[in-house]
Amino acid sequence: CVAVSSEALGMTDLLERVSQISDNLHSLSTSLSNDLNTHFHPIGKIMMRPSMCHTSSLQTPTDKDQALRVPESELLSLVRSLLLAWSDPLAVLLTEAPNLVHPEKSLIYSKTKELQEHSNTLGAGLEHLVHKMGHSSQDISSVPFNNDLGNDKNSRLTNFHFLLSCFRRDSHKIDSFLKVLRCRAAKLRPEMC
Amino acid sequence: FTVVTDTVCITPPGKPKLTSCRSPEKETFTCWWQPGYDGGLPTTYALYYSLENSATVYECPDYRTAGNNSCFFNKNDTNIWVNYNITVVATNRLGSSYSDPVDVDVVYIVQPYTPENVTVLVKEDEQVPYLRVSWEKPRNADTGSGWITLVYQLRVKLKSQDEWEEHDARQQKSFNIFSPHSGGTMVQVRCKPDHGLWSEWSATAYVQVPDYIPRERSMWIV
Repeated sequence: CVAVSSEALGMTDLLERVSQISDNLHSLSTSLSNDLNTHFHPIGKIMMRPSMCHTSSLQTPTDKDQALRVPESELLSLVRSLLLAWSDPLAVLLTEAPNLVHPEKSLIYSKTKELQEHSNTLGAGLEHLVHKMGHSSQDISSVPFNNDLGNDKNSRLTNFHFLLSCFRRDSHKIDSFLKVLRCRAAKLRPEMC
Repeated sequence: FTVVTDTVCITPPGKPKLTSCRSPEKETFTCWWQPGYDGGLPTTYALYYSLENSATVYECPDYRTAGNNSCFFNKNDTNIWVNYNITVVATNRLGSSYSDPVDVDVVYIVQPYTPENVTVLVKEDEQVPYLRVSWEKPRNADTGSGWITLVYQLRVKLKSQDEWEEHDARQQKSFNIFSPHSGGTMVQVRCKPDHGLWSEWSATAYVQVPDYIPRERSMWIV
C-alpha cells in the first residue's frame, strides 16, 4: 500500500543521505591518514596493533555472509555504537592537532575539524533514521576510551597516528554497514543497487 | 657459505619479494610474490601469515588457483577489517630466506574485474545523433546486497586520434554522450569500489558515428 511504500521510500532516501555522509567521512579519514604519513616514520616506534583500538571490544562481522545475516536494527545500533565511541577521541585529536610535531599540522587540524563535523552530521542523521524506523534509541553500547596521548611530543604523534588508523578502519565499517542497509531498504528501487 | 662446483656457484636462495595482494570483490583475495635468485638449486616457496589478534601462524591455503608464485584465500580464509601479516619463504638445500613481511587489510586492496558487455549505440534526438553507452557490473561483484558499491568511468576517442575523453558515470550503468565527433569511435569503461582501486579498462566497443551538421547545442551529460 502506498503509505508503506512512501514510508519505505522516505527510509531509502534517508539511508541514501547517511551513506553519502559516511562515504565522505571515510574518504576524509583516508586523506587525513595520507597527510599524516607524509612525515611520519613508525620505524623505531612501537607499531601499535589495530587489535589495540579502543573499539575492538565491539564485535563486528568480518565477512560478507556474517554482515548480511545481521538484522537491520542490530546493524544500525552497531553503527551508532561505533560512531558514539569516536566522539570523545575526535575531540582529543582536535585539541592535539595544533601541537603536533608535524609540518602539515594546520592541514591536519582543519581536516580533523571536518571529520568531527561530518561525524556529528552523521550522528544526527542516524538519530533521525532510528526515530523513523521506530527502534528504541537506548541499545547503543558505550566504549571506554583513555584520552592520554602520552607525555613527550613523539609518543603523542605516534598515538595520534594510531588513533587515526583505528578511526579509518571504523569509518569504513560504518560506511559498509550503512550501504548494506541502504540496499536492503532499496528493494523498491532495484536500480539503486 | 658458498659451495663452488665446477662452474655454477650455489648458494642459499635470494630474498623473495611480496609484490601485490588484490581482492576483486571484497570476499576473497590473492597475493603474488617474486622469487629471488634461486641459488642455482631447486628452490621451494611457502607463504605464511598471521592475523593481527593472534600469534598463530598459518600457511597459504591454496597455491594453485591463482597460478605460479601466488596464494589464493577463498571466502572462508578471508576476513576483512583484520590485518594479515604475510611473509614468503624461499628454501633450497643450502638454506632459506624470508621476504620483508607485509601488512594487508583486504578492504584497502579491492580492485574489481572490468565491467562487462560494454555496448555503444548511435541514437538520434531530433536528427542529431548521440551515443548511448551501456554496460554491466563485473559478474562476481555483489552490488545487489550493497556489500560492494561500484562507481564507473568511461572514455571515448576517435580511432584516428590519441586523446581520450573521460566521463564519470558514478553508479549508473549507462551514459549518453551528446555532440559526438563523426567517424570511427572507440569506447571503454572501468569501475572501482567506493574506497578501492580502479579496474583495468574494459574491452573496447566500436561504433561508426555518421557525419551530421551539429546545431549549436551545449554538451550536457545525464
